[in-house]
Amino acid sequence: MKSGTNRALFGLWTLFWLLMIVIAVQDEHGDARVLWWEPILWEGSSCLVATFWLVLERRASDRWNEYLADPWRWFAKHLAWMPAIAVTFIVAIYGIRHGVYALTSQIYEHESWSYIFFYESVKLVLFAGLWLGIIFGLESFARWREEREQLLTLQKHLAESQLAQLKAQLQPHFLFNALNTISSLMQVDIERADRLLTQLADLLRSSLQASARDVTSLREELKLLDLYAQIMQQRFAGRVTLASNVADDALEAQIPTLLLQPLLENAFKHGVERSRDPVRIEIAADKQGQDLRVTISNSNSSVSAAPSTGIGLRNCRERLQLLYGARAGLELLQEGGGVVARLNIPFQS
Amino acid sequence: MMRVLIVDDEAPARDKLHRWLAEQADIALVGECGDGLAAAASIASLQPDAVFLDIQMPGMSGLEVAAQLEPALAPLLVFVTAYDEHAIKAFDLNAIDYLLKPYDKDRLHKTLDRLRGRRGEAPAANATAIRTARAQTGSSGRLLVPQGEQLQLIDASSIHWIEADDNYVHVHTAQARYMLRRTLADLLLQLGEAFTRIHKSAAVNIAEVKSLSPLFKGDHEVHLRSGAVLRLSRRYKDELFGRMGG
Repeated sequence: MKSGTNRALFGLWTLFWLLMIVIAVQDEHGDARVLWWEPILWEGSSCLVATFWLVLERRASDRWNEYLADPWRWFAKHLAWMPAIAVTFIVAIYGIRHGVYALTSQIYEHESWSYIFFYESVKLVLFAGLWLGIIFGLESFARWREEREQLLTLQKHLAESQLAQLKAQLQPHFLFNALNTISSLMQVDIERADRLLTQLADLLRSSLQASARDVTSLREELKLLDLYAQIMQQRFAGRVTLASNVADDALEAQIPTLLLQPLLENAFKHGVERSRDPVRIEIAADKQGQDLRVTISNSNSSVSAAPSTGIGLRNCRERLQLLYGARAGLELLQEGGGVVARLNIPFQS
Repeated sequence: MMRVLIVDDEAPARDKLHRWLAEQADIALVGECGDGLAAAASIASLQPDAVFLDIQMPGMSGLEVAAQLEPALAPLLVFVTAYDEHAIKAFDLNAIDYLLKPYDKDRLHKTLDRLRGRRGEAPAANATAIRTARAQTGSSGRLLVPQGEQLQLIDASSIHWIEADDNYVHVHTAQARYMLRRTLADLLLQLGEAFTRIHKSAAVNIAEVKSLSPLFKGDHEVHLRSGAVLRLSRRYKDELFGRMGG
């Protein structure tokens, strides 16, 4: 991205100076008093010193870029350097020209110094303005592209996790086993079967709706987890106990949608579905200083049994990285006989 | 009367089968199991005529249970699953019956009719089912053995040698000797390449063979790493030499 901007800029810069030299040579063509190399020297010395300043500007461009969103400040920061640039620029180019003329035993004739300073300063400010405009445009474009790319990545990850979650719910195993449970229940307890069917419908509907938004409250996210857990509890009747331990002040915290469900699914998959003994699954959340902490633990599995390549977990981590950078964390820990998934994200309500 | 065992790790799924099977006059429910190991033990102790076997279960899957069965002695198998693409494809090809959850009563009745029709030919029907289950689970690595009252899975690599004894085999490991109601021929089919027969009623784990020494008439002695000395009959000599790589 950065090198692309610089390549475009120096390309334009080279074209610009070639043009300036060609025009100067053409202007003086036919004037017998002016030798062929003189206009090249005039423009070449300007080009050399201006390039030196441009390189310095490029070196420092990262420091300016934070003002890109505020064009006036960006230009002001640059223009503050103009007096220093003007003086060194004029002194340097006239120094070079005098030097080269002296080497060829000639004298460089020009207007009075006060006129030169005035004339060159005005010219410099005009050209500097032009080039700052070009630099600003290129940098803004690069920044826009970068941001758009980041946004697209974020959207892609969200879409992936929505898809993964939908798949998990439409996951044939989950769906068909849930339907079979309902098919069994409805012969002995119509009300319970009806409740379970509604829960399954609610779960599918919520995950379809959740897809539209990026963040939700912990309260909403927990509702979804509850629906899933209820269905699983019916299927594995007697083999799982659920516990919830969520602090009241954590309920309104913002949390990325569908972030927790894969963690709960893992707790069931690696705990309940693989164990012959009863499993306890606990969901806990509280506010810890500046952070919201959510833990989902099961009492009967090991980290090694959980494939770390699982798309659910990887996807969660990538989304956290994109949304919160280093301020969020998700780790799987072996604790006692079970596994704990511990999530930390900045607390926002 | 057809004696039937139900195996599923989800209670509602067992209940449904139980209710519908109980309506059948010619079916006697002999038990219900919630996991694979219990199912294997019940199949051995109750010797049902047919088993409804869920595929996805903790510990040992339904396919793994089937893989450990001796076709000639095994009950008729009906696999029950919510979704198991690979397994189902394999069984589809072999025309073995299975139930996809959820299923209705008509579908179950069709399965029962098929079971009734096949009662006389259980070994043949089983052979295909069990072979398919073995291929699906890579069952050569583990062997189900009785341990006191219970069953347990041991690593095939821990077996030194196997001795046939009428309708039983003795499986020798460093720690123990297990007696199984299996035939040597089928056990060798299950365990695969790692084992080879050395005479009519014995087979060795090729990795456990330390050396061979010649006897009369082309017979040899096989010395195992464990110190055991077995006889290699002329008939199986080439096979063992070939398998040992020379």
